[in-house]
Amino acid sequence: MTSKPSRPATRVSVESLDRFRANLQSLVAEKAKKLPSLRYCDLRIEVREEKGALAENGAEKASSEDYTFDFGVRAIAGRRTSASGYYGRVLGTTDLDRLEDVVWDGIKQAYNRARASAREKSRAMGCFPNLGSSLTAGDLAIVPVHQDTIPAIYSSDPRQVPLGDTIAMAVDGCKAMQSQGSNIVYSAASASTFLLRELFFSSDGADIDQSFAQTEGFAISICSGEHGNFELYDFTGHQRGWEVLTDGYTKGPIVLPNFIDFCKKLGADAVEVSAAPPLKPPDKEVTVVTNPHFNTLLIHEVVGHPSELDRALKYETGYAGRSWFLKDMQDNQLGKQIASPMVTAYSDPTMEGYGSFKYDHEGTPARRAYILRNGVLEEFLNNRQTAAIMGVECNGSARSTEAQLVPLIRMTNTIFGPGEQDPQSIISEVEDGYYIDGHRTPSIAESRENFRITAVKVYEIKNGQLGRLYRDGGITSDSRDYFMSIDAVGNDLRVNPIPNCGKGQPMQAKRMSNGGPTMRGVARLTGPG
Amino acid sequence: MLSLASLRRAVKDALSFASSQPDVIEVEVFASAGANLTVRLNYTSHIPSNGVEEPKSTEGYGLGIRATFRTPNGIKTGFGSEPTDLSVAGAERALEKAHAGAVADAEFVSLPKHDSPQQPALRDQEPLANYNPALMRIGGKGLVDAGWSMMHRALDTFQSSEDLMGLAGSAEKMSELGLILGGDVVMLQDRMAIGSTHIPKIQTEQNTLIMSFATAMIETQASKGSGWSVGSQLADFTGEAAAEAARNAIASMDGERIPTGEYNVILGPQAVAEILEWVLMPGLSLDMFFAGASPFMGKLGQLVASEDFNLYDDGAAPNLPTSKSITDEGLPTGCTDLIRNGKLSGLLSDYYNYQRILNDATGREKLGTNPTSALDMISPRNGFRPGNGGGRNFASTPGAVSTNLVIEGNRANTQEELLQLVGNGVYIGRIWYTYPVNGTTSGDFSGTIIGDSYLIKDGKFAAPLKPNTVRMNDNVLRLINNILGIASQHRATVRWSSDQVTWAPEIAVSGYGLEEISEYMEGV
Repeated sequence: MTSKPSRPATRVSVESLDRFRANLQSLVAEKAKKLPSLRYCDLRIEVREEKGALAENGAEKASSEDYTFDFGVRAIAGRRTSASGYYGRVLGTTDLDRLEDVVWDGIKQAYNRARASAREKSRAMGCFPNLGSSLTAGDLAIVPVHQDTIPAIYSSDPRQVPLGDTIAMAVDGCKAMQSQGSNIVYSAASASTFLLRELFFSSDGADIDQSFAQTEGFAISICSGEHGNFELYDFTGHQRGWEVLTDGYTKGPIVLPNFIDFCKKLGADAVEVSAAPPLKPPDKEVTVVTNPHFNTLLIHEVVGHPSELDRALKYETGYAGRSWFLKDMQDNQLGKQIASPMVTAYSDPTMEGYGSFKYDHEGTPARRAYILRNGVLEEFLNNRQTAAIMGVECNGSARSTEAQLVPLIRMTNTIFGPGEQDPQSIISEVEDGYYIDGHRTPSIAESRENFRITAVKVYEIKNGQLGRLYRDGGITSDSRDYFMSIDAVGNDLRVNPIPNCGKGQPMQAKRMSNGGPTMRGVARLTGPG
Repeated sequence: MLSLASLRRAVKDALSFASSQPDVIEVEVFASAGANLTVRLNYTSHIPSNGVEEPKSTEGYGLGIRATFRTPNGIKTGFGSEPTDLSVAGAERALEKAHAGAVADAEFVSLPKHDSPQQPALRDQEPLANYNPALMRIGGKGLVDAGWSMMHRALDTFQSSEDLMGLAGSAEKMSELGLILGGDVVMLQDRMAIGSTHIPKIQTEQNTLIMSFATAMIETQASKGSGWSVGSQLADFTGEAAAEAARNAIASMDGERIPTGEYNVILGPQAVAEILEWVLMPGLSLDMFFAGASPFMGKLGQLVASEDFNLYDDGAAPNLPTSKSITDEGLPTGCTDLIRNGKLSGLLSDYYNYQRILNDATGREKLGTNPTSALDMISPRNGFRPGNGGGRNFASTPGAVSTNLVIEGNRANTQEELLQLVGNGVYIGRIWYTYPVNGTTSGDFSGTIIGDSYLIKDGKFAAPLKPNTVRMNDNVLRLINNILGIASQHRATVRWSSDQVTWAPEIAVSGYGLEEISEYMEGV
């Protein structure tokens, strides 16, 4: 660029929020509270400074360094009964000089929607005296009110990473994949890093300022093979700075190679599997040993999702589905043995992972929630409204993808707890079975009561040894039967990033962690078709 | 919502500014203003609920710039956008981002030009009838009212049902049946303007769309019904989708299980649309051919399906609610035959991928024909910039996106004829989570049947199929080659978090793989 007209004096950065924090807190905690019949209001506003690049077949394709800036409001209002209203908006540089006005307009719009909906709710309760009796005020469970500031954790500040480094990382990742075999017909890689700052204010007085660094890599290889092209993709990433991709990250159950090694392995796996024959599944149940990467998707789909209380309370009947864990308030699986006593699963935003935070998007302090303890269903993931309906303590699971979108009940770092057995011995004890290595694509029944999940690799196990490798395989089972069949749990817990869990309308793709150790159970195998 | 005039002026000013920069070779400016208003429903008669759960909206406006730059390291291309600032200062920031992020893409040829078979109209055409001022103006109150009208329609239907009254024994006990209404009403409001070095005339368009989708259940009876509507006019919305869902739920009580096996089936419109969108369509996009990720590699012009099967995308069809006059690359929309009389006849494309395949040394091998002799088949009629949930978003770069997907059969069967062709089998009305489980290249898919489904006996509808008791395991290539018949009637079918619409008929298929699942749930 050589010719520059008048240059704007300001730019949006995470620091831009500093000058507004006190005024926005006052707007919500004082001014909004004076609106007639307003019962509650909260505001979320965030700035993300992000950069990243994409490469295809070893060549640079795109790169970008930009910001996003947006806010969202929830109001609960009404006289005889109450209802919620929401409003969200994208913001930009020009809003920096008028932010309080823009946000106040959003608060009023959310408030007016809440009041209008509350009036209509009252009318419906009158029109339908029987069927309308379940319509309620939508109260929120009480949570402690916090004022807090939580900084981001990183070694290499995402903002200081030269954009050229992200391009080089994507290009080198691509080349690393391609070096694994001449039958790789297509490869693509992306590398990105961002710093996100979120402010949360409520009419109860909450004033929370949380920042996160997040760095992510994606790779895909498509290989030609005797049995058709084979595509394989995966993600890596963590809530840290650029060092996640340059150096990798290893701490406890999180074991992430650097991005080049990650891409090499993905390319090598794609080449290896593309040469394998398709699995011909036996027409009977077999012993399967599933590895941590496969169990990452298994717990996500079949334990994590049905534990979301919005699904269980039917909010997602039209889209994401219900949960077989709960028919109604009286008839449900809470306290019942629905998995082997060897199976424990929990969601814990306070541990390290891709879904870590100190407060959720309702300002609720994060804590570990045991979904299954020794095979018994113990707790659902909830938000303030669903916790109030169930009469239980909030566990801080409400999160949105962007501030302008409504928070949903989400997994955080949701994992199978580790056992004590050496994973190799879990395999060596199997006389005749299959080793299920790496997750690919899920198809899950509506209430998560049955699943089919395909694997990257399926190996025969003969006399305790891994044998022939197959492609296009996976496992299927009724969920309870499978989890009750678990008879071995390894000590090799691994936690992996899941960057794209879709839920909501409009859809929100959320980042979280899932994982588990090696486990052994009984299922039917699936093959092509 | 900003006016078209504001967007037009912003594009003109930004184009003038960007074009005057000495290092800019070519530039395209796209400005948009859009809103997504959604009201989600959650009514449960047996659990406390709000009825209308979330009346909400998101909105934004801004401009996006694609440009090529002359740099010391050769020609580079980049994209940048800036929200909420349509001034020249905003354009400068967007152009700076494009410049900072520009890369040397050897496969980039140029920004969109009128050099493909699709040509602009010689004179301004009448705007398509997919814009409604009332829908463009609707605010929060209208949104809330739309949600509650759905609620009233469903509760009226439940309350007046003699079947439900008979089951419950009294009006007071009807709520114990576990009546559910879920779903939403989505309203999209979009305005856009585009101009470029190659197409300097500023083109504008405005669109509105209103979609509703409802799911109703009588949970104690494990019955589920669906209803939906789509239109571009506010008057197209009546709340009827909720009543339809409730009626369908009531009609499908006392469902039966079926054993694992291969069945002749009729796929209803929602099932057809879901398989089409999630399993078949990814393989009918030109970028997937470039990557080697389509199950139809090397088969352009070849027979890939039953000769009765036709599939096309028509973004310019008059009177279809998602039609648009121009793409988000400023090119004319149009009709792309994807499969015609069973032959693979075309692919969805944007301009970048259209140009890329023409210069790809392996293009002939990938397509199965020389790309230069198949220009009309791969013409860039579908370069759009969807936002989250649909619409036209200044912050997105263009990609191939379908508009109105239409499936037609040549024989134009009636539903009665399809039932006769099936004889004994299953009508599959609503499916869920239907994904290509072994990758897009294989065509393998799996999903479950979750409602609106019936057994077919002796060519007639028989008992309802119990929801969530059957998993489908099949292959889409096998499916489109084993078609028994295709109904003449279509229904506009909406897709989760998207403004793409499939005009889907009922399709009868032989030898469809169904697996009985979840028997343990009978005792849970």
